[in-house]
Amino acid sequence: MANISTRFFGLDLKSPVIAASSSMTGNKEQIIKMAEAGAGAIVLKSIFEEEIYHELQEELNLRSDMHADPEYLDYFDYVIKEENIRKYLILIAEVKAKTKVPIVASINCVSSGEWTLFARKLEEAGADALELNMFICPTDFNKTSAANEQFYFETINKVLQVVNIPVSIKISHYFSNLAEMVQKLALTGISGITVFNRFYMPDIDVDNQKVIHAEILSSANDYILPLKWIGSLSGSVECDMAATTGIHTADTALKFLLAGASAIQIASVLYKEGPSAISRMNEGISNWMDQNKYVSLAGFKGSLSHSASSSQAWERVQFMKYFGEKAF
Amino acid sequence: MLDIVSSLLFLGSNRNSKFKSYSMNQIVEKVLFSEKVAKFVVDAPRIARSRKPGHFVILRVDVKGERIPLTIAGADPVNGTITLVVQKMGVSSTKLFDLNVGDTILDMVGPLGKATHIHKPGTILACGGGVGVAPMLPIVEAFKKAGNRVISILAARNKDLIILEDEIRKWSDEVIVMTDDGSYGTKGLVTAGAEMVIQRETVNECITIGPAVMMKFTSLLTKKYQIPTQASLNAIMVDGTGMCGACRVSVGGHTFFTCIDGPEFDAHQIDFDELIMRLGGYADEEKMANERYLKFN
Amino acid sequence: MSINKEHIQFERDKEWRTDLRKRTATKERINKIRTHMPEMEPLERIKYQDREVNIGLHETQALMEASRCLDCVNPTCIEGCPVSINIPKFIKYIELGDFLAAAKTLKETSALPAVCGRVCPQEKQCEASCFYTQKLKKEPVAIGHLERFAADYERESGAMSVPEVAAPNGIKVATIGSGPASLSFAGDMIKLGYDVTVFEALHEIGGVLKYGIPEFRLPNRIVDFELNNLEQMGVKFVRNFIVGKTSSFDELKAEGFESFFVASGAGLPRFMNIPGENYNGILSSNEYLTRVNLMNAANDEFDTPIIKGKNVAVIGGGNTAMDSVRTAKRLGAERAMIIYRRSRDEMPARVEEVHHAEEEGIEFINLANPVEYFADAKGKVNRMRIQRMGLGEPDASGRRRPMVIEGSEYDIAVDLVVVAVGVSPNPLIPSEVKELKVSKWGTIEVNENTMQSSIPEMFAGGDIVRGGATVILAMGDGRKAAASMHIYLQDKHQNKN
Repeated sequence: MANISTRFFGLDLKSPVIAASSSMTGNKEQIIKMAEAGAGAIVLKSIFEEEIYHELQEELNLRSDMHADPEYLDYFDYVIKEENIRKYLILIAEVKAKTKVPIVASINCVSSGEWTLFARKLEEAGADALELNMFICPTDFNKTSAANEQFYFETINKVLQVVNIPVSIKISHYFSNLAEMVQKLALTGISGITVFNRFYMPDIDVDNQKVIHAEILSSANDYILPLKWIGSLSGSVECDMAATTGIHTADTALKFLLAGASAIQIASVLYKEGPSAISRMNEGISNWMDQNKYVSLAGFKGSLSHSASSSQAWERVQFMKYFGEKAF
Repeated sequence: MLDIVSSLLFLGSNRNSKFKSYSMNQIVEKVLFSEKVAKFVVDAPRIARSRKPGHFVILRVDVKGERIPLTIAGADPVNGTITLVVQKMGVSSTKLFDLNVGDTILDMVGPLGKATHIHKPGTILACGGGVGVAPMLPIVEAFKKAGNRVISILAARNKDLIILEDEIRKWSDEVIVMTDDGSYGTKGLVTAGAEMVIQRETVNECITIGPAVMMKFTSLLTKKYQIPTQASLNAIMVDGTGMCGACRVSVGGHTFFTCIDGPEFDAHQIDFDELIMRLGGYADEEKMANERYLKFN
Repeated sequence: MSINKEHIQFERDKEWRTDLRKRTATKERINKIRTHMPEMEPLERIKYQDREVNIGLHETQALMEASRCLDCVNPTCIEGCPVSINIPKFIKYIELGDFLAAAKTLKETSALPAVCGRVCPQEKQCEASCFYTQKLKKEPVAIGHLERFAADYERESGAMSVPEVAAPNGIKVATIGSGPASLSFAGDMIKLGYDVTVFEALHEIGGVLKYGIPEFRLPNRIVDFELNNLEQMGVKFVRNFIVGKTSSFDELKAEGFESFFVASGAGLPRFMNIPGENYNGILSSNEYLTRVNLMNAANDEFDTPIIKGKNVAVIGGGNTAMDSVRTAKRLGAERAMIIYRRSRDEMPARVEEVHHAEEEGIEFINLANPVEYFADAKGKVNRMRIQRMGLGEPDASGRRRPMVIEGSEYDIAVDLVVVAVGVSPNPLIPSEVKELKVSKWGTIEVNENTMQSSIPEMFAGGDIVRGGATVILAMGDGRKAAASMHIYLQDKHQNKN
């Protein structure tokens, strides 16, 4: 196997294929399997504030039948949160005892205040790095874009102050000037930026005339969006970048590496094919490298990015000629 | 009214049992180890029977008294008694110290806490500071009975404060005495004695009981040599049953209650600085109470 | 407790009730204004830890208020009561002037009416269901005040009837804990002739009634009076005894105890796990109230120390938070503050307590939540950081969800913080008895109708089953468990013969 080692999350990784944060990475057995399949790193499932709220609702419903004193339930979300955190810390410790593959703890950030103490505990439990999953979908009419952006920097600052392990972030693409935002983020002292977050999306059932959820797993063509931005930004920004969404094959992974990504994060393909998808991807990358006579990633990483290749394709936005010529 | 009720109850069963069912906590023996340290043997059949090494009691000397924790230094299930060792320091410990044979302790509840985990790692180094040697005695005895090699270090400021040396010697392969002023044994701190042992032979596990500062430095020493260490903590308590949280301590970044999760914890994970800080939580009030007590007694 | 509608009707049709209804016209009754409970003056009462705020209705007030009750054909007030006390019956006895009969009626269902009259959240229970509230949109009959009146009258008259106790049947039962659930269980079992022992871990009997609820709301002498009654009936109280530690269940069984009622309560204090919470001067409400109410720490003659803060912040919005902040005020706080993350209306405390607290000068800082504490060089808290909250959609309890307002943090100076954000079930017995089926959050699982646990000879009730419950619900559990245990033991002994 060729040397496919890379650097991301502020850590040296044996492979650029990273298991992204998903429900699978909340399960100890699955994590070990992914480590054994050759994952470069594993990002643990995030603790979601929404999950805690959902569990609270269940408990409230259960207890209301018993006429529980409202005083008992008033701050019950703290109990649930503490229990979830406790289990998470145990998971980190158990997994670290069983594998040398770097374990990255993931914090889902909706509000900045509560998670700083948690970040410190994650470090104490043995996490090798942190990923801040910046979960902001700009649907609030009352928030300014400046306020939304401010939240990113405040949260990053707070977390960087309390931990010594490297901190990386995962962001969405909803910025009026994504390039400027990524550049500013790169200068905060974080060790990696992953593009892009994947939100729960709604869909519509026309037959039944109701709102439902869209397909949860990514489809193969979803990679085009992050690819554009990896290609456009990676060479010009002071921070390692990684990509996620729609990466299902070694071929796609190589596209990102050529575009300048230091690593790629996969989830949907793991749901569909299991941890063996990791070893298949590693092999695929390695074979391609052998065929093209590359001994390490440094040989080709970013060679087709905008800064390296100055290909106009990265800059162009309009379709123009293609559609102009097509016969109708 | 209710005091008398609780003491008048007796077993209705026809078992041939020697002890009364609900104890009056009468003192049956008192031995002065020094001007400030006394040993009490107290009638408490149920506690004596249920007690294991590491357990403690909470007691209240009189109606106006505080509830205070004291480790059970020994127990005689046959005769139905437990042994407590107390050092005169503030109001509550002085009130207890001043009791005599025949007196009763108004309230006493136990056995509380989690018992010591006794096993056979090989060689145990037991470091006891001052009155901490009293709770250390039953642990040393249990580890010795379990087949371990036991080296005990007794440390105190001076000769007067060294207690239970003979009893400890009975259950140890070696006893080292350290005093700050050199008035007895070797001059030096407990850590000096401990380091000497550690460098001399393989120590598999360490126990440390005594003032928080002493436990802190003993723990730092054993951490350096990566020797697993248990410390028995002396946090402030009110109820002792897990109800109030006064005894909370940070171990490995989590908060635990000394009275129900302890009193023993993995010493290397304990935030000793926080413990020492919390132990001073009522220092001003305790000082005032002591002055008041001395004025009227 | 199920309502026996026929029985209610039967009582209502009795001659004395019919006569009483005829005596005063409905219109006249409705036009009366709800009586006002005499209270101590706020500025006066905050000087005392042990003076009750509510003084109690005068006889004339009680008679007048009782006459407001319309003795409805369909008494909805009973439906609002968690233990279905026959409310119209006791109120009508008051109107008749037979206060002792009113007290007796209460005691048919409730073991401690003097307590419930004071601490029940009537505004959510009986008084919320009263015809006046429901249909007339007027102030309800002051059911709680009347209950207290009748119970206090009976106690003070010296004519307290000691109920009939059946001949002893020699069967030994035990109850663990000495709070309202255990006391009502003990009262019923002793009447049935059982040999009842109450085991209490602390040195005082009464549980939360003694160490939790302060004197200015529920005087200890009232609880002691009820305890003495139980003793007179033959109930044995053993203090300083932790079942599972001092002796195991097996040892007690060997001593002849055949069945147990576990009512050890929800005593485990909850903290928020925010930075700085372990600094000195930050206490759980359990610790604070236990020091003051159980150990008399505020009195210099008693040894247990207490911090008497000048700037005191109490986190929470329930009755425990109210008790804590009002205690702090009485101990000399200049600023006694409630910090609660929802609005004033959403606070779960009894309306009367909030009202009294406001009168006493308690500062309510709503829509605020602490995020961090700071301390001086010695580790004593001196500052706390608060974050402002907004309110979102209602959650399953019907109250709106608190949402953080980013960047809204500010600091206030404090020298004492009491954390009153709730308690969890006491873990001791579930940890000692491995076979006992326990829920995810530590409550003992029981059959709803019989209060029997997964172990046949063990029953449970009160907070340890419900998580947190009101006093009246705990008492209801105690009665239910007594009834079921009676059947269980009678069956067991009959099968033996």
